[in-house]
Amino acid sequence: MKRAIPVLALSVAGLVPVWLYSPGPAHEGEINEAAAAPETQQQTQNQAQNQPQAAPKTTGSTPVPQQQQQQQAQTRTVSGRAVNTSEGTVQVQVTFQGAKITDVKALRAPNSNPTRMALPLLRESALKAQSADIDTVSGATATSEGYKQSLQAAIDGAR
Amino acid sequence: MPVRRVEHIMGLPISVDLRDGDAALAERAFAWLREADDRFSPFKPDSEVSRLDRGELTREELTPDLVEVLSLCDWYEESTGGAFTAHVPGRGLDPCAVVKGWAVQRAADILREGGASAFCVNAGGDVVTAGEPEPGKPWRVGVRHPDIADQVCVVLGVRDGAVATSALYERGQHILDGRTGQPVTGILSITVFSDDLAIADTTATAAFALGRDGIEWAAAQEDCEVFIVDEDRRVYSSPGLPVHIC
Repeated sequence: MKRAIPVLALSVAGLVPVWLYSPGPAHEGEINEAAAAPETQQQTQNQAQNQPQAAPKTTGSTPVPQQQQQQQAQTRTVSGRAVNTSEGTVQVQVTFQGAKITDVKALRAPNSNPTRMALPLLRESALKAQSADIDTVSGATATSEGYKQSLQAAIDGAR
Repeated sequence: MPVRRVEHIMGLPISVDLRDGDAALAERAFAWLREADDRFSPFKPDSEVSRLDRGELTREELTPDLVEVLSLCDWYEESTGGAFTAHVPGRGLDPCAVVKGWAVQRAADILREGGASAFCVNAGGDVVTAGEPEPGKPWRVGVRHPDIADQVCVVLGVRDGAVATSALYERGQHILDGRTGQPVTGILSITVFSDDLAIADTTATAAFALGRDGIEWAAAQEDCEVFIVDEDRRVYSSPGLPVHIC
């Protein structure tokens, strides 16, 4: 249970900027969006300023206005509202260095998984086949029979 | 002296490729794996797991090792909403999915504590590596292609780390979703890179049991990088995956 919190924090760190950035009603019903929403106007502005740095990291494709950049080196920690969701209570804390998010913590997070948070962190590509020079093989080799036929057996000199 | 040895333990072919060390050190690692099999196999009537399952031991009477294994089982079961479970209906307690990676990681720790600094342990396709096979080069860990048995679909370059793959290669095999009891669909192969095989292996197994939901679940796990092939042969990989360019 304890370990769910760092897991969620990492996920939140990756996604807070995305939630904040995406306009429109796409996130309706997305439980954690409310948790990431700040409490005050001033915080809203700070997070808005952060968008230009954060967005390329997560999506890499969205055009981003740069006009709000300000060079503040001030460190500020902002806690979001605690929000009750069907999954449990969610609350995040965001640390800014000037206009840049330097840390995000989940102060409270539900234990339920799976989350739907990590997709933007994944790269998608086509499956390729190669016969590369390797030292060992990772694969699901559960049986002795399967092993005899396997690349790993060849590497071990067992076939 | 380099040592290479293969032994079948826990129903798995376990290969040790020890670049610095000796046969006695390799034997200590294998001895631990045989001990783990004796203590934690649900198929051995005298094992601690079987005795717990029959009610001959209470949770308070368990060894710290089994307590650790069961707490890992519980954590992943909770985290996957029951898709991953060590309590398969009709089969009793079966913590094998956790025991394997956990025990092999400890075997690797025994090698390291015994002074070995460059080795590769491969247990049924789950891998722990240390150091470098030759100076300046990482261990090249190929991930078996889900359709073509003698080819790989990616090569990882790993020094100190763990790589585990959960996959279905042959028709007729199946992994059940603990929530529904039905065979899992959606993923052909999931590979997890982490610094500990207990984590990598259990994450791969648990993600597989989640089906398509397992893609994002695995990617969100702390300190885990993933390489996942779905049924449509699309690949999803973490940006932090240590892909080795051959």
